[in-house]
Amino acid sequence: MNYNEPTLRYFETAAAAGILTGPQVFRGTAGSRTQGTWVQFDLQVAAGIIQAARFLAFGCPHTIAASAWVAEHAAGQALRAALPESVEGLSERFAVPVEKRGRLLIIEDAWTAAAMAAADAGA
Amino acid sequence: MNRPVYLDNAATTPVDPRVAAAMAQCLTAEGVFGNPASASHEYGDAAGTLVEAARAQVAATVGAAPAEVIWTSGATEANNLALFGVAEYYREHGRHIITARTEHKAVLDPCRELERRGWRVTYLTPDGGGRIDPQQVAAALQADTVLVSLMHVNNEIGVIHDIAGIGAVCAQHGSARLHVDAAQSAGKCRVDFAQSGADLMSLSAHKAYGPKGVGALLVSRGNGRARAAVHLRALQFGGGQEQSLRAGTVATHQVVGMGLAFELAGAAVDAEAERLAVLRERLWRGLAALGGVHRNGDAEHSVPQLLNVSFEGVEGESLLAAVRGRLAVSTGSACTSALREPSYVLRALGRDAVLSESSLRFGLGRFTRDSDIDGAVAAVGRAVAHLRRVGGP
Repeated sequence: MNYNEPTLRYFETAAAAGILTGPQVFRGTAGSRTQGTWVQFDLQVAAGIIQAARFLAFGCPHTIAASAWVAEHAAGQALRAALPESVEGLSERFAVPVEKRGRLLIIEDAWTAAAMAAADAGA
Repeated sequence: MNRPVYLDNAATTPVDPRVAAAMAQCLTAEGVFGNPASASHEYGDAAGTLVEAARAQVAATVGAAPAEVIWTSGATEANNLALFGVAEYYREHGRHIITARTEHKAVLDPCRELERRGWRVTYLTPDGGGRIDPQQVAAALQADTVLVSLMHVNNEIGVIHDIAGIGAVCAQHGSARLHVDAAQSAGKCRVDFAQSGADLMSLSAHKAYGPKGVGALLVSRGNGRARAAVHLRALQFGGGQEQSLRAGTVATHQVVGMGLAFELAGAAVDAEAERLAVLRERLWRGLAALGGVHRNGDAEHSVPQLLNVSFEGVEGESLLAAVRGRLAVSTGSACTSALREPSYVLRALGRDAVLSESSLRFGLGRFTRDSDIDGAVAAVGRAVAHLRRVGGP
């Protein structure tokens, strides 16, 4: 399979890979390793602003690249349940084949779960 | 720019330069370009002579008589000719065929088509190492079984089937002919058609440093063998070539290439197997040191040129992508679409879906050196470490 340049770059660097610990850190996961795609986001939130974000992803290069991009671009943004970029936008940015777009929904679900956990905690 | 280390020799091999040179001599006006069936002039005679010499080279390498070699476009066509040819010729004798779940698609898909046409097919499940026990075949044989089709060496895991044992079971049955897909073995390990117990055998040139687009089906003529000659119904018509089993002008340059490739491979087969066994163990030791690594297939009964490994904690497509540019390998699975399926061969061995999907097949070959193995271990090590970091515990 061929991947576009952003996919390869974020897949290979994955600078925001990892976990966060400590107070004001909220976690969301979605998917299943046995089903081939699993994503986790950790968001550190203060006063409704995302201070830092990290991700873990088990999946194809598109899944890893899109998760990495989302985590890298989250810091400084206001906490929202929606992804920092829409599923359609991520799909276009990383030239995700139509057969694999369901994997972006798993990323969205993981993000939403983390954001909702933060919102529920009043972060 | 350095090219990636090539360890996909189970998919195809580069043409040996000596083979390429011999083929080139059959293409141009100064060379042997005639139609080998044109017996009316010296151009045709010269080509016919080369075609028969190539037939003799292939036959000698695999322990067959030259008359038992039927040229085809490759092992896929040979498999189709064997399966459909036997099924159609003996259709009044029986409609039952036996094969295994781990066969190549070039056998499984014809079997599926035969099922659609009314034949019954039994698909045997191998043991955890990937082998079919001859007694499984014996238990599956029915009174109207006309064909058993089992590969010599599995293309994904390199496991060697006990063809002699399976052949003995078929011989005892009497009317069950044994077809062996030897695409991964002929030219790479010692093959003796006459002694193998097989009645039909499929060969490929491009797996053994010959050209793509040519192969052969060995069809037993019963010469000095315990068993009767095998008959086939032809699948294509239009010229009577190849004993009327495969119509069409024989591609002189292709068969000359296959003949020489097999002769060269046969002359070095034992020494090469020994060399590759050392390299494969070097590769396995390097990969095993990464931890969470599983060797697929029965290591004791496998060819030295192939190693199939699954990696815990990584996803298959990402693993391939992460080594790309440094290493040319394949996954154990057919990767023909964006949504990859776990290897049906590894699934048949009992591997779970995740490990089946995270496998790599390393195919070593004539041009593989120590440095290639070390480069492969380093590339896979980097990739696995990266993906495990990104994927978490």
